[in-house]
Amino acid sequence: MTGETGTGNGKSNAGGNGKAARLFSRSNMYVVDMDEMVRRAKGILAKGPIPAMVDWANAFSLWPVHLMTSCCGCEIGAAWGPRFDNERYGSLPWISPRQTNLIIIEGTVTRKMACSLRIAWEQMPYPKFAIAMGVCALDGGLFYNSYNIVRPWQVIPVDVFIPGCPPRPEAVARSIVELQRKIREEGVASRWLVEGEREDLRNIIPKEDLCGWRGEEIDLSSKFG
Amino acid sequence: MTSAVSLVDRVKGILGPGEGARVEQQKGYLEVTVDAGSLRDAAARLKAAGFDHVKSVTAVDYPAKNQIKVIYHASSMLDEELSKYVVGLATLVDRDDPVVPSLVGVWLSAEFQEREVYEHFGVRFDGHPDLRPLLLTPGLAAQRPLRKDFKVVEEDDYLKSTFEEYTSTRRWV
Repeated sequence: MTGETGTGNGKSNAGGNGKAARLFSRSNMYVVDMDEMVRRAKGILAKGPIPAMVDWANAFSLWPVHLMTSCCGCEIGAAWGPRFDNERYGSLPWISPRQTNLIIIEGTVTRKMACSLRIAWEQMPYPKFAIAMGVCALDGGLFYNSYNIVRPWQVIPVDVFIPGCPPRPEAVARSIVELQRKIREEGVASRWLVEGEREDLRNIIPKEDLCGWRGEEIDLSSKFG
Repeated sequence: MTSAVSLVDRVKGILGPGEGARVEQQKGYLEVTVDAGSLRDAAARLKAAGFDHVKSVTAVDYPAKNQIKVIYHASSMLDEELSKYVVGLATLVDRDDPVVPSLVGVWLSAEFQEREVYEHFGVRFDGHPDLRPLLLTPGLAAQRPLRKDFKVVEEDDYLKSTFEEYTSTRRWV
């Protein structure tokens, strides 16, 4: 008797709506399509004031981890030191790529280092940005036409380049301000949050080519977005 | 200058009559070229006489003579008189199949530098405990990039504007 009423209740609750009947199961558990919910949530995120807030918050919490491969690291030390105090832009150098959203590539990147750069970048949480510092990071600089270097913009998507050999600490401060302007005007952070991926990711070297010499399976890709 | 001359005599005395005759003196620098077979023996004698570490291990490629010259630069940290000088212990090997006896057993500081010579010149060190490429990826080390016949891909004065255009002339691994 009770079993019959239970099924009858389920049918009567459904009424004429077939969709509700599918969502509402016999054991009173909701069965929801998570992909659909994520798509709707991203649609809500894309409208309204939330993207502007995301961009504003990201612009003033740029915490860099620095990949100090060359002499530009001295200038980074000066840039966040007391004289050229870069912390006034809301930026603080941090030790680990897992808690930071900005990577600064200081100087030339060799082919063996390119794998480490890619792994460090993949460990960072979204939305993440990159600054390439020095003329070595632009086109090779002193090591131009050499057999053992790569350009950082072939390994990870780079937002801001700083020319100079090495650049002055003022130039580093300018790059932070320029990245803030880019995030807030072009909406890099919020667009990345909605779409989950950047457009310029397709223009970089595949990871098998960078890390294939290690002869091991590397899967450190972040699961965000 | 007198001390440099006495150093020549001293190194000649260390190395004995055979190899000692081949000591060449340049400006503030001594170089002795020995056979690959007697390299370990000469290094042991230098170590026993006070040259206690290797400053650098390097190689020179001679494609015309079909030879590779491997040079160990030894100096001293404990002996004050010997620490002013650097003695180059060199050996000439065949360029097609260069094999040199490893001196890691004599000078421990030669280990990583022999690995560098191995990856850049393809010189194999017989008896090295861990002969792997150090700074280069294995694919690049197989091309032996510091030999004279290694051709670097020429780039233009201007950077290629697109990624496809740039990578078309490049090998990555």
